[in-house]
Amino acid sequence: MLQMSWLIPLFPLLSFILLLLFRKSKSESTAWIGVLLTGISLVMSIGVFLAVWQGEGIKTEGTWFQMGERAITMGFEVNPLNALMLVIVSLVSFLVHLYSKGYMHGDDRFPVFFAYLGLFSFAMLGLVLSPNLLQLYMFWELVGLGSFLLIGFYYFKPEAKAAAKKAFVMTRIGDVGLFIGMVLLFWQVGSFEYDEIFASVKNGDLSSGMLTLTALCIFVGAVGKSGQLPLHTWLPDAMEGPTPVSALIHAATMVAAGVYLVAAMYPLFQASEAALTVVAVVGGLTAIFAASIGLMQKDIKRVLAYSTVSQLGYMMLALGASGYVAGIFHLTTHAFFKALLFLAAGSVIHAVHTQNIEEMGGLWKKLRITGPLFLIGALAISGVPLLSGFFSKDEILASTYADGKYGLFWLAVIAAFMTAFYMFRLFFIVFTGEARGETEKGVHESPGVMTFPMIVLGVLAVVAGYLNTTWFGTFLSDYLAQGAVELPHGDHHGPAWIPLVATLAAALGIALAYLIYQRGTLSRDWITRSLPSLSDVIYNKWYIDEGYDQTVVKGTRGLSKLGVLFDRYIVDGLVTAVTTGVQRLGRVGSRVQNGQVQSYGTAAIFGIVILLLIVALTGGYFS
Amino acid sequence: MSAVPLPAYLMLALILFCIGLFGALTKRNAVIVLISIELMLNAVNINLVAFAKYSLNPGLTGQIFSLFTITVAAAEAAVGLAILIALYRNRKTVNVDEMDTMKR
Amino acid sequence: MTGEMIAFFLLALTAITGGVLLINLTNVVHMVVALIFTFIAIAGIYITLSAEFVAVVQVLIYSGAITIIMLFGIMLTRHQEKEKKAPRLKIILTGLTIGLFFLIMYGKIKDLNFGQQNVELHVENTKKIGVELYSHYVIPFELTSVLLLVALIGSIILAKRDDDEKEAKK
Repeated sequence: MLQMSWLIPLFPLLSFILLLLFRKSKSESTAWIGVLLTGISLVMSIGVFLAVWQGEGIKTEGTWFQMGERAITMGFEVNPLNALMLVIVSLVSFLVHLYSKGYMHGDDRFPVFFAYLGLFSFAMLGLVLSPNLLQLYMFWELVGLGSFLLIGFYYFKPEAKAAAKKAFVMTRIGDVGLFIGMVLLFWQVGSFEYDEIFASVKNGDLSSGMLTLTALCIFVGAVGKSGQLPLHTWLPDAMEGPTPVSALIHAATMVAAGVYLVAAMYPLFQASEAALTVVAVVGGLTAIFAASIGLMQKDIKRVLAYSTVSQLGYMMLALGASGYVAGIFHLTTHAFFKALLFLAAGSVIHAVHTQNIEEMGGLWKKLRITGPLFLIGALAISGVPLLSGFFSKDEILASTYADGKYGLFWLAVIAAFMTAFYMFRLFFIVFTGEARGETEKGVHESPGVMTFPMIVLGVLAVVAGYLNTTWFGTFLSDYLAQGAVELPHGDHHGPAWIPLVATLAAALGIALAYLIYQRGTLSRDWITRSLPSLSDVIYNKWYIDEGYDQTVVKGTRGLSKLGVLFDRYIVDGLVTAVTTGVQRLGRVGSRVQNGQVQSYGTAAIFGIVILLLIVALTGGYFS
Repeated sequence: MSAVPLPAYLMLALILFCIGLFGALTKRNAVIVLISIELMLNAVNINLVAFAKYSLNPGLTGQIFSLFTITVAAAEAAVGLAILIALYRNRKTVNVDEMDTMKR
Repeated sequence: MTGEMIAFFLLALTAITGGVLLINLTNVVHMVVALIFTFIAIAGIYITLSAEFVAVVQVLIYSGAITIIMLFGIMLTRHQEKEKKAPRLKIILTGLTIGLFFLIMYGKIKDLNFGQQNVELHVENTKKIGVELYSHYVIPFELTSVLLLVALIGSIILAKRDDDEKEAKK
């Protein structure tokens, strides 16, 4: 089974190619090609995962080309970490394919959408299977391309176009960091291989300054891809893409690639205390910062997007606080419940044809399946006990506390409270109360092809937490401990009051949301009125975008204006000078060409005289 | 016997050749241009005959060669004049600077 | 100063004077007449070079035939007897070029001397040339006759063809 694992990414690639051939087709049964092929990938991934669970692993490589004495290799590797990622990616991809069959119904470019999904799945699975940084980088860019294509799928919408461009540019900033880090590592180690890099890190071949530098450069790549502060602004805008895409790429898989990258390069980060601290601080700040923005957003998908940013911040916090298992664990559970939430949001949008939550309301009775599933997702992400989010979040809090980062610990608790609050604000506004706007007519539950994936994810959102609990067994950490990565030792299960605090924060958040948005005990604009300036700032996303506009964008514009001036007056001037020079010369030449034999004769004699002069002066020899 | 040295003949030939060249390149009347060319040929003939007498291998060859040159020059003058007359009939001019069909 | 020297200087002076007059006169007919002096002087130069036959041919063909042809040419095309001066710039440029040419050639020929060998070129000069022409140079000689014939026919056709075309058009 393991030897065949390189086939896993190829099935979505096949789907991409086949669907491109059928791209003009109007038939929606083309979707089944994608569904079937990703289904095969899923089955194989599960097989691989089970094999790895039993302690197997494989790494196959061949030389791609030789560069002096250094060989660049290509191949694939299966270890516990990426086997888990394989399952997550192929499962979510499969479910999203299935869901899109219903969601994209009636779209003109139906097969193209599935082709792009196939391309993305191929890239993501290939990224996960890569055994070296170079190969990872290629797939990393391909993933970015897939994301770009899918965000801009509705290319006729200017917002979607702008969002696609923004996503591409913002992640590119991170990619440059990753590339620099990668090249630095190659320079220092002489190989892109994870194993060799880790070996030389262990042997202390790299100076501590270089370790920190490379780790931070790679982390910049992760920041770009995972939407961490300060490169997060593309992720909420990316919600202009179709909702299944948001679920697949911008919630479950691609944005988790940054976290995966940090996890895959973990020994490098472990070797540098400073890099770990940076990771933790950036993660913690992102978590609370994005959560605060999520409190005030009015677009259902944007709330979820900020929630994603916040949860990714959590994962980074966990990794930065030596909570390797906690980070991966949260990645897994988050993939399930956030995909569930996005799919449920998609279902709601599908039903009411708007994304503005102020135009929704009272949908609980009409969406009898979506409603409860959304509730499960909301409960899971809020960290209500016994659901998956509770366990993973608890793990993160515990490892942060155990690592001695108390400030970040309390930030994370507050972020957890905010998470609960905004999720239930969303839930209460959308599903309870009276229907608002003109959306009540024609509201209907989504077809089975859409609800089925949600149900699967709902079940997983509930049970995925039991992979790693203090009560039933720490399967996941045992499993991950088989991997090549040497896990930090020590018990991260901090004091018993941590779960209590987490639960309390979640309960407080839910209760507050209930009081404001359900019972109306507290007025909705209570906060807005009491702290107008703060709420303004939050509502406008801390003016980050505006800040970028004022600084980076304006700076770039200014620079380009300078460039234009340079181009116009210096480069163009040179060109014009050359052309006018040639023209003038030509004019002189054409005046000589007057058609008169005598002028030509004079010129010929002149030439002969010059030749004679040369002969006379040199004696006939040039030596 | 102090004969006239070879450079004296060559100098004379050179001066005549330069005069002929100057005339051929600056005169406007086509007949004069033709005559200037004849003058240049004559200068060459002087050289040939002079070398026939004062050279490493004196002999009649130079003189005979100059005879051939004179014949060819005569033929050239005849054909040149014929062309000139044909041209004059067409264009009503014998001015060389008005003959610029090469440009048109 | 031998008689040969004096003769050479006088002839050379005449030839160069004729050339300078060719350049400086304005009347076209006068120019041709000036050139006759040059041609005859050159014939004299040939005699000092012990080439009597060539000198006679020179007088016959150049001073006689070609000059007369040229005069005919001038008469047939005489629509502007006076020769106008060429533009000053053209004269200066051409003069400079030719002056440079002259200087270079002068530098090369002024010391050229192969010495004098005793050859009896002037003894039975015409007979020797005749023998050479009909023995050693017979093929070029016959070719020259073909050339002259071609030139003859060619000149007639060139000078005549336009009339035929005009008549054909009429």
